[in-house]
Amino acid sequence: MNTFDTHTTIISNEKVAEDHYLLRCECSDIAKFARPGQFIHVMISQGAGLLLRRPFTIYTVNGREITMLYQIIGEGTKQLSKMRREASIQVLGPLGNTFDIAKNPEPAILVGGGAGIASLMLLAVALRAQDTPTIGLIGAQHQDRLLSVDDLEEIGVKVHIATDDGSVGHHGFVTDILTDLLHKNDLHQPTIYACGPHGMLAAVAKITEKFEVPTQVAMENRMGCAMGVCLGCVCPVYIDDKRIEYQRVCTEGPVFNASDIAWEIS
Amino acid sequence: MNTQNNSLNVNIGGIRMRNPVMTASGTFGYGSEYADFVDLNRLGAVVVKGVTSVPWSGNPMNRIMETPSGMLNAIGLQNVGVDGFIAEKLPYLQDFDVPVIVNVCGKTVEEYLTVVKKLTVAEGVAGIELNISCPNLDCGGMSFGVNAKLAHELVKEVRTKTQLPLLVKLSPNVTDITVIARAIEEAGADALSAINTLLGMAINAETREPELANITGGLSGPAIKPVALRLVWEVYKSVSIPIVGMGGIMTGTDAVEFFIAGASAVAVGTANFVNPQASLEVVDGIYTYLENADMKSIKELVGSLKIDV
Repeated sequence: MNTFDTHTTIISNEKVAEDHYLLRCECSDIAKFARPGQFIHVMISQGAGLLLRRPFTIYTVNGREITMLYQIIGEGTKQLSKMRREASIQVLGPLGNTFDIAKNPEPAILVGGGAGIASLMLLAVALRAQDTPTIGLIGAQHQDRLLSVDDLEEIGVKVHIATDDGSVGHHGFVTDILTDLLHKNDLHQPTIYACGPHGMLAAVAKITEKFEVPTQVAMENRMGCAMGVCLGCVCPVYIDDKRIEYQRVCTEGPVFNASDIAWEIS
Repeated sequence: MNTQNNSLNVNIGGIRMRNPVMTASGTFGYGSEYADFVDLNRLGAVVVKGVTSVPWSGNPMNRIMETPSGMLNAIGLQNVGVDGFIAEKLPYLQDFDVPVIVNVCGKTVEEYLTVVKKLTVAEGVAGIELNISCPNLDCGGMSFGVNAKLAHELVKEVRTKTQLPLLVKLSPNVTDITVIARAIEEAGADALSAINTLLGMAINAETREPELANITGGLSGPAIKPVALRLVWEVYKSVSIPIVGMGGIMTGTDAVEFFIAGASAVAVGTANFVNPQASLEVVDGIYTYLENADMKSIKELVGSLKIDV
């Protein structure tokens, strides 16, 4: 295994949208081995009663540096957002499995809801590096919470936007755009890659099952160890037609085939 | 650091260990998961995830929740079952020079006995830790650990089926832990593990829902250390078999406090989740403490609490 626990310091930690921050740090070993879909487990502070690390997807890799794009959702991420340059953090990773892009999708369709788009950025880079035509469907509550549009467009991803309040792009859900896209039926060999709120993923899975389009989803869950030990982060996965087993998001995942997840009980 | 130094050697109920630091069951998987971070040969013993007579699928999610300085879990003992453990997990551990202690759980006496018999004839098991204190099972588990009579009967039955060193893990969720501890000692246990998690719960005020699907779960981490120390101290005063102390140990100093309270060995649990190398850092911390205190053996520290009376 190539997993490292790196003491490092923050290079920058900037607000990029309402409640969302982009953190840069140097983690050369993690940067070297990081693959699309993988994540890091970050110790923010052992003071103030925060015991556990927090899992974050790896947003980008630049030489010896990695970035993470994260949303403030609790006390840990709130504390993290207040940390400045030079503050120290401990970063464990890279962890988890990766997206599969071997089958030359045409096009690849990325579906990201909220901070979920962060899990698809390294993937987008890898897809574009092999010249895969790539479409990005980005959903946000409203304009001020929209993420990653420029980053994706810069590498040649064709971006469509949906917002809950219609402040920018389609007024509604990304899944509406996805349905329209698949209805047009002019796609050669599409593959869907999705990450976002659980409800969105379940909806994506339902749509793509109907259109029989292969779909990979990056799941999220509360995590304890992120190393496969505590069994805290499981999700229910069909291991055959009838039998379901709880698999670890940190180890068997975070990427699963959407058709393998038992959405009805997850 | 020189952990070969014999000042740290201990013998827990017949299991000889190079140092008194074990991994707590359920926090170290089956030993292979932390291979990148922990040389198992530097540990006193590896205590693996609880095994049962057949594979268990575990509880639905959410299974864990962070709480102030601690965490709640209700995993529900998801495990590969004793046959799967012996066939798939045990061989890996046999490549190391470290005692392997297998945590055993069940819903009935028969289930415990099935597992114990199979482990007793398996190659490479140094000891058994009987888990009669898992708070996350509908029946069995903790119900044995909160009733002195049931605990006594179970341990006595198990004792007749195995000559392996037998540890019994105590539940803190009782009125008087010493009554149970004595009943278990009388039934023939070789050592006691104290403590398992404290039964607790967390509620989301906004949704009014429990944070865990199981509603209640076991609290671990530094939040429970004071409770664990108190219970180790109480048990130490009431039995003569060795105690493996655990509950919120994050550092060598935490471990030293458990020895002073009466533990002969310690187990590192939740700390492994936070820092994969926590167990080794605890070993180093204890060693440094002994050196600074000019003690020749960890045994000098056991039960050395200074009280003015």
